[in-house]
Amino acid sequence: MGSHAKAWLVEDESAREMLDRVLTERPFLLLPPLHRVPLRVGNVVELAGPSSSSKTHILIQAAITCILPKLWKGVSYGGLGHSAMFIDLDCRFDVLRFSELLNHRIMEAANGSSSKVGCHQKDSEAQFARMKPYNEELFALCMKRFLYIRCYDSSEFLATLKTLHYRLQKEREVHGVNVHLLLIDSIGAFHWVDRGSSSFPLEYDNRKSWHLQNVSEAVVQEIRRLLLVHPMLVMATKAVVLGNKYSTNELTWNYRKWSAVDNPYSRNITSDQQLPYREYMPAAWQSFVTHRILVRATDDDLVNGEHQNNSIYLLEWLLPPLNSLDKFTVRDTGVFILS
Amino acid sequence: MARLANLETEYPVLDSTVRNFCASHGIFSVEDFLIHDLYMLAAFAEQNNSSERLKEGIAQVLSIIDDMHQPWLNGMELLEDAKRNKHVFPTGIQGIDLLLGGGIRVGQLTELVGPSSSGKTQVCLRTASNVARNHLVLYLDTGNSFSPQRIAYFLGKTINPSSAQAKNQFLQKVMSNISCHSVFDIFAMFDVLHQLESYLRCQDGRGGCQMRLLIVDSISSLISPVLGSSSTQGRALMTSAGYLLKKLAHQHNLAVLIINHTVGGEGGYSKPALGDSWKCIPHSRLFLSCDRGSNNYNVSILRHPSMASGKAARFVI
Repeated sequence: MGSHAKAWLVEDESAREMLDRVLTERPFLLLPPLHRVPLRVGNVVELAGPSSSSKTHILIQAAITCILPKLWKGVSYGGLGHSAMFIDLDCRFDVLRFSELLNHRIMEAANGSSSKVGCHQKDSEAQFARMKPYNEELFALCMKRFLYIRCYDSSEFLATLKTLHYRLQKEREVHGVNVHLLLIDSIGAFHWVDRGSSSFPLEYDNRKSWHLQNVSEAVVQEIRRLLLVHPMLVMATKAVVLGNKYSTNELTWNYRKWSAVDNPYSRNITSDQQLPYREYMPAAWQSFVTHRILVRATDDDLVNGEHQNNSIYLLEWLLPPLNSLDKFTVRDTGVFILS
Repeated sequence: MARLANLETEYPVLDSTVRNFCASHGIFSVEDFLIHDLYMLAAFAEQNNSSERLKEGIAQVLSIIDDMHQPWLNGMELLEDAKRNKHVFPTGIQGIDLLLGGGIRVGQLTELVGPSSSGKTQVCLRTASNVARNHLVLYLDTGNSFSPQRIAYFLGKTINPSSAQAKNQFLQKVMSNISCHSVFDIFAMFDVLHQLESYLRCQDGRGGCQMRLLIVDSISSLISPVLGSSSTQGRALMTSAGYLLKKLAHQHNLAVLIINHTVGGEGGYSKPALGDSWKCIPHSRLFLSCDRGSNNYNVSILRHPSMASGKAARFVI
């Protein structure tokens, strides 16, 4: 017995070793433009913004960073080498665009490494031809790490989440890689449909109704359960309507009615920080979010090269509230910070 | 909604013992399971006398739930489907096809926005006449704007047949590939779309001429009336219509072309009739306008999955 207890006490790793292990297993992700705050698995990041404010693009770039290897056949790609899951609730994902962007990143890394060696133009062309089969192999490897599903309503979304645990286990057994990133685009997609269905009366008292609040609570509960056994970084977009431009009277009236009747907790959250948009997600989701970011487009364009114009976007951290406004632009090879 | 009582014939495990247990937790249908904590339910089942039976029942419902979602696909499988099925259809209008890199994409919703007489219906008719050469086209008409004469005119411009008889035959064939339905409210559209869905399900199994283009001219005149003051139900209908169109487009490889007219907004600027909550439904949104007193039209990209907004082109019809 005594020797047992002693063996239990003998250290098997130093604090440094443990730190190394924990940090490699759960690396910080510095994904531009979300570079101000290091993100890690277990975090739930909400990316709010009006339509066409590059939300989906940021998700896609995060997915590409996740599925690219760190180092592959001597070339550094700066990725994580893990799988990423994309739950498409907007049903607008364009895989051709995704593969184009992935190819850009692969080529950029390959070219970057060859230019460092200082090849001549001809040499690099020859190298490019030589690299092509490698690139295609890498491309296929990365694409297989990207898992995608689309949901046409909340019940499909919940069915997906309820069976995701088995799916993740299978993925681990078959491919030997862990899913590190869970992407949801966008979380409020079925808001109006679920709100519309809340008025049906139920025949039994103890039966939960298919109400927006219950659906949202079930979604959060499933993701929370999942994170306990499969540590992942969750990133979700949320489409919002920025105020001031539209008939604010109706909106505030609706909001007041909505928050008073259906969502008594949301008021406290929103009154603390003056949000530039109307919050519509139920409290269950709002309190689940650990990081909240607002992105929006500006009217400015960045003239880049001959004809290529890039829109400039603004990014603001709402949670944690940072007093910084980042400007960034979106190109084929990624997201670039301007200031 | 699948009630558990109706599932017993198919899944004998879901017998009265399991159903009574579920009912005591307020679960009567598969949908109830979805908003219930199954871990808690399994813990309760553990304490029950017939826990084995109950756990079998829960596992059975879980496997039913597993069939309720779309399949998981990896990137390579997605890409394969896109390359095999998600082509682009040329509209037949040079300016637009060049701008969009070929035309409108199968599997996606392309929306045309613009004030009246900015060429929206003309673009639809032209696209219909172009696609109907080899495929079936369904045209949902909400304002009697469908014009067979105009389609015949477009066809006549592009073909150069040897004889009048050959020309007539060609016209007949193409015209019979286009079916036009008048719909005057959103519920009629849901009816037609559900019929279309079951038709397309049969179509996917057999060969022959396949339906590849669906046009709704215009979606805004169907949805705007239901977006009244108590907008919850109206918005629910709007979102459902959008998702039904996207589902049809993706699962049955249709290109969907919809029209959204504009209304006067603040400060004299016109804005799309279906505004911010509709904005996130279509894949691409094109703004059309017409130069006064001329035949020159302008098109600019408001949103597109792979192109920057703001790109513009001119075209003539």
